[in-house]
Amino acid sequence: MIRNLYLIYGGVVLLGLSAAQYRGWSLATINEVKNVPRSVRDNPGSYRSIYSSFHHYTGGK
Amino acid sequence: MSSAGPTPPGKPQVKALHCPGCGASLTVRSFGNAVTIVCENCRSILDAKDPNLQILQRFKAATGEYRPLIPLGTRGKIRSTDYEVIGFERRTIYVDGVPYSWHEYVLFNPYKGFRYLTEYNGHWNDVSILKALPDVQTDASPPTVKYLGETYKHFQTAKAETSFVLGEFPWQVRVGESVEVSDYVSPPRVLSSEATGDEVTWSMGEYMSGKDIWTTFRLSGTAPEPVGVYENQPSPMSADTRKIWVAFAAFLLVLVVMMIGFDMLARNEQAFSGSYKFDSRDHADASFVTDDFELKGHTSNVEVDTSTDLNNRWIYLNYALINEETGQAFDFGREVSYYHGYDSDGSWSEGGQNDSVAVPSVPPGRYYLRLEPEGDPQYGVTYYSVTVKRDVPQYSFYGLALLALLAPAILLTWRTLNFEHLRWAESDHPPIKLGSSDDD
Repeated sequence: MIRNLYLIYGGVVLLGLSAAQYRGWSLATINEVKNVPRSVRDNPGSYRSIYSSFHHYTGGK
Repeated sequence: MSSAGPTPPGKPQVKALHCPGCGASLTVRSFGNAVTIVCENCRSILDAKDPNLQILQRFKAATGEYRPLIPLGTRGKIRSTDYEVIGFERRTIYVDGVPYSWHEYVLFNPYKGFRYLTEYNGHWNDVSILKALPDVQTDASPPTVKYLGETYKHFQTAKAETSFVLGEFPWQVRVGESVEVSDYVSPPRVLSSEATGDEVTWSMGEYMSGKDIWTTFRLSGTAPEPVGVYENQPSPMSADTRKIWVAFAAFLLVLVVMMIGFDMLARNEQAFSGSYKFDSRDHADASFVTDDFELKGHTSNVEVDTSTDLNNRWIYLNYALINEETGQAFDFGREVSYYHGYDSDGSWSEGGQNDSVAVPSVPPGRYYLRLEPEGDPQYGVTYYSVTVKRDVPQYSFYGLALLALLAPAILLTWRTLNFEHLRWAESDHPPIKLGSSDDD
């Protein structure tokens, strides 16, 4: 019983892994934006990234 | 326990007798095979082999009366043979002054003879007397016993005292008599030796659930729930644990094959590369866009690698991977920093000059990158390059899958080990307790 459950569980894990590899999933934090205007090509400064003005690391030890 | 072979019966019949102590009628169920009979009314132990039923002992239960869970006279089928419960006794051992008591039931079949059931805290054993002597290996630690090719490990040796008896017994039973009992286990079986003087009797018990006993004897109500782990109780997980590790090994093999397969099938193709210079002292807008490039194949990831010449400083890059045709953008920021030095602890370093990130599930099409570097104005010039690769294998998922497959196997193994730990904690060979010391 437990073995069968484990076989199903393991199958699901490996299927998930296959999907992750094929579709190129990633653990990175990426923000998806729709309909970026074509004008950005000519005027890059008009695009406002949500990541701009983040607090940046200023340190070292 | 000790027994002799049954006397083959004539026509089965119940013989009515009277107790010479109190006059109460006695029911004899073992057709002359019993050696002693205990009067259920006055608790006189009678010599069943004496035509006058001589009183051998009168006893008063030291700690009270005990009612058998299976009433005397109850019949049930064990291993395809009908048996009748004819006797009941309570036995007690003392470990470090603490009494532990269990109950034994004498079963009788006129053709097969005697058989026994034992019960301790809801744990049952079907017991029969051995016909051959097992091979005792006392030089092993713990001592072992070999019987019919199976090895049994010593569990416990203790003096067992009979504290209550009822019904018929195929031996000279007495309240207060004691024997040295040694148990050797190989779940679900247990070998027990009972030594009195020079006489040693060996028996084998096989674990039974209370539910099975209740079904066998068609008892009303439900069996008492077993308490704790019994010496020969089979681990409910041990067989599954072995099977799960076998399944895990198979999954691991599939995982490796998948890794090799996806590695071979991945495009892992460079789609763009560019080198840039960023002067943080320049207050003008630093954002710019790259030339466009083609991302081929099916929807898959895109790896963006950043290499810098940073030295005790940082740079932050706002990235946007923009589809020229659809306007879909993948927006992300990457900080690259590298610090190193030397202090009283020796040399140290932190961060690195390079960075890599995988953008997930990017559809095919023509793209360009919009970059906006940021840095401390006092740093000056930083040189960096950006490389975009299509369909790059991500090994972190293999690690996660491995952990996901490993977790249930480890959990089950831990439960199995814990079960064995609980079993042996009650033995003469308890497992070493973590954190214990000689000072304890």
